[in-house]
Amino acid sequence: MSEVPFKNPGWAGNTGDFDLTEDQVRGDDFVGERPLDGGHASGAGAMPYMLSERNPDSKLFEGEYQERFEKILTRYPKKRAALLPALSLAQELRGHVSPESMDRVAELLDLSPAYVRGVATFYTMYNKRPVGRHLVQVCTNISCNLCGADEVLDAFLRYTDTELGQTSEDGEFTVIEAECLAACGFATCVQINSRYFESVTPAEVAKIVEHLKANSGGDD
Amino acid sequence: MAYPYVSDREVRVISKYFGDPKHRHVDTYVERGGYKALETALALEPDAVVDIVKASGLRGRGGAGFPTGVKWSFMPKDSNKPHYLLCNADESEPGTFKDRELMRWDPHQLIEGCLIGAHAIRAAHVYIYCRGEFFETNQVLARAVEDAYAKGYVGENILGSGRTIDVTVHQGAGAYICGEETGLMASLEGDRGEPRVKPPFPAAVGAFGMPSTINNVETLCAVPHIIQNGGEWYRQWGSEKSPGTKLFCVSGHVNKPGNYELPLGFPLIDLIEDVCGGVRDGNALKAVIPGGSSVPLINADEARACALDYEGCVEVGTMLGCASVIVMDEKANIVKQVRRMVDFYAHKSCGQCTPCREGTAWTARLMRGIEEGRGTEEDLDTLMQMTQQMVGTTICVLSDSVAAPVQSSIEKFRDEYLALIRRDEKVGVA
Repeated sequence: MSEVPFKNPGWAGNTGDFDLTEDQVRGDDFVGERPLDGGHASGAGAMPYMLSERNPDSKLFEGEYQERFEKILTRYPKKRAALLPALSLAQELRGHVSPESMDRVAELLDLSPAYVRGVATFYTMYNKRPVGRHLVQVCTNISCNLCGADEVLDAFLRYTDTELGQTSEDGEFTVIEAECLAACGFATCVQINSRYFESVTPAEVAKIVEHLKANSGGDD
Repeated sequence: MAYPYVSDREVRVISKYFGDPKHRHVDTYVERGGYKALETALALEPDAVVDIVKASGLRGRGGAGFPTGVKWSFMPKDSNKPHYLLCNADESEPGTFKDRELMRWDPHQLIEGCLIGAHAIRAAHVYIYCRGEFFETNQVLARAVEDAYAKGYVGENILGSGRTIDVTVHQGAGAYICGEETGLMASLEGDRGEPRVKPPFPAAVGAFGMPSTINNVETLCAVPHIIQNGGEWYRQWGSEKSPGTKLFCVSGHVNKPGNYELPLGFPLIDLIEDVCGGVRDGNALKAVIPGGSSVPLINADEARACALDYEGCVEVGTMLGCASVIVMDEKANIVKQVRRMVDFYAHKSCGQCTPCREGTAWTARLMRGIEEGRGTEEDLDTLMQMTQQMVGTTICVLSDSVAAPVQSSIEKFRDEYLALIRRDEKVGVA
């Protein structure tokens, strides 16, 4: 994780007596580099990420991703159980799960395309159409809402110059409302690609958006 | 001082190392006494482990409060089918944020609890179904599992006991309903996370059609401590029926929101006013949801009388749920907040059962109409009547969860609804 130009608004930043580095708080220090070959069958290397760098024409799957996919298959007694992780990998590569991606995953897992469509459309984390390089999900559920999430959402829409649910013209941002992200004590919580930003206030939004624009590319 | 906020009234058993990144490392965990309980448990017969947990009176921390030891004892004792232990880490109930913290700060505690649970129910494979949005938590947990494999705490012939237990971290893909146990199993198998009718119960036909047990993260985290110290030790806290400690997730209008581990039976008002430093800006307390968005709201008077255990909450007409305390002060707009919760359920309904699929959407529409000044007094009667038809008429309890906040808020804060219907000026803002 590169250094952030602003004090992490997240997690405990507001107590004043918390002296851990951001990497330590987030666990990046501990996780370190992901093993590229899919790691152990327990899952570490095979776990999907949400990257801002991605290619809609990537092949499903080859190279490192093929190894990760094969590792996933070893984790379940039935092949079908690999469907969710496989769709997640497809999304990590391509940025969204298109009907073509679903068909390809169906083929890989010996499932019918219709079945895979049914499953993929059930889950909210599969983007059914392309999204911006930064998918900004602002929690506006009760705990965050009580602490001003609506204003945070408005600020994100203003600074990224987008409509709710739409992608900005430069393809950088898609801003959506999210349901509870399970960080209610650190309201308002915003998830941007893989990463949580916690205790976000409307005043900090401009800095976060600037930071994302400046660091476009790579993990978030 | 460490973790965002701590209080000297806490009893930190499972949350002791929150805020200490060193604790994620297997070596630190072992130095501090970790995996001792696993050794103890593996030396015992599975039934003896179940008996210790039964004696402790530990109840499921996921919301229903079913005694864990009893649940484990439902598993068949001499079947030749593989058994599975599933850990429910699909935390997404609005107001709840304990499991994510347990996993990211103390992953080995959960792994140890899973292994002991697997031994007790004779399972050879544990799946930790972790919520999809928790990318970081998933990585932390998966790395910890790998470390545990490397040290021989997981895998073949654990610590020379002859037992083989595998642990897999499974990342979900975004669906609240996968926190329901049969929904979770369907999702793990690669299907839509739609709950199914019980029986058969998971102990007979569970994941992949095999006998399975599903436990919440917090439940399993308490298990190593109980095995290590005995059932009686755990009963030193809490009450006869609700023993032990519990993580309380406090959010909303308090000065120090966060996770606090307290003995069950702790007075709600002390939690708000002492532990959490009181309501923001010294405002008056208006309403509290003591157990996450699925339980009835209570007003300030009821909150003053409420003891935070499974029975104490029922006495004031609500439920402990997963102990997610959402606090609202005098400036809160109850109608708006209840509407926001109903929107959540309307979004998360899996759509199988008509009362839920249609009911959640209609409730949301009526609530929004009232909030935006288009409501009538008859709408309140319609809401009450409709939500009554949503209780007990569906496969799972998602639909019941909508009825609880809607009915209780109309009963207790009718004036607020009427003010919006009559378009009075004086309504809360947030």
